[in-house]
Amino acid sequence: MDEPQVVAEVQEKLGFWTEHRYLLLIFGTIIIAVILTSVSLIIYNVSGAALLDLSRPGYQSVSDKVDRTSDIDSYSSSGPINKTTVDQFTKIYDAQATKVKAVDAFNGDPLNPEVLEFGTSSQ
Amino acid sequence: MKLPARLIIVGFVAAILLSVVAFRDSSAQVALSDEQLKAISTNCLSIKGTLNQLHASDALLRVNRGQIYEAMGTQLMDRFNSRLAGNGLDATGTLAVTKSYRTTLDTFRSDYQTYEHQLSMALAVDCKAEPGAFYTATEQARTSRAKVHSDIIELNQDIDDYRSAVNDFLINFLRVSAEAQQ
Repeated sequence: MDEPQVVAEVQEKLGFWTEHRYLLLIFGTIIIAVILTSVSLIIYNVSGAALLDLSRPGYQSVSDKVDRTSDIDSYSSSGPINKTTVDQFTKIYDAQATKVKAVDAFNGDPLNPEVLEFGTSSQ
Repeated sequence: MKLPARLIIVGFVAAILLSVVAFRDSSAQVALSDEQLKAISTNCLSIKGTLNQLHASDALLRVNRGQIYEAMGTQLMDRFNSRLAGNGLDATGTLAVTKSYRTTLDTFRSDYQTYEHQLSMALAVDCKAEPGAFYTATEQARTSRAKVHSDIIELNQDIDDYRSAVNDFLINFLRVSAEAQQ
């Protein structure tokens, strides 16, 4: 293969990429965006963040009932320790503990066949 | 002679595995009568409606309860432990309960994730066409939900235990302070 022929081939190849560089840039950008979006969706689902997202379809009926006000009184992590400060802490703690235990979450058996109206095997 | 012996062993293992799988499948279906299967198919729409409502209300419960339990750990327990440590006081009791609380909270998160997944699976099953599979999926979700409830009981127990640990600390602290003053 003589030198002018090689030069011509190289120029032809360079010409193709130069000619389509914008198309390449657009496709490259789309592919990178698809990969990054897929990765973020996987993380969103695997981490459990999706379970806390009530803006998803099917949860609109309850999304406005989310308790957005964290009215818990915070307790400073620095300061002296004496009977007064411990009593202050226990007062806040007891109030919060009462609030927590006021609702027996996930109690009951709503998935019981009898509740779901298809009875039990004994019926 | 070696090949047939191997074949017999492989066949034996395969038979055991197949019978285990068959037994599991049949045990999943054994509790269902024809009447129940018919009831599931007939009431499919209303059952799905109930499950959808439960799915949404449990998600709300998870968000609101999870928020409070998280705050108990980070805004109260951790801060009190830090204050004790900052004052060079022994926080072994409260730290041990906090550790247990954190572990239970992690278990709660993971168990809820399992429950949510199983309930979603049950909702995805066509209960009109596959009442047996729907029943099995619902039963699995039911078991998982009971587990989530037991996690909540355990978390509440840890909250009580932490309160007792703070009480024990205070009693000990006052005794040591009185002794130091004498």
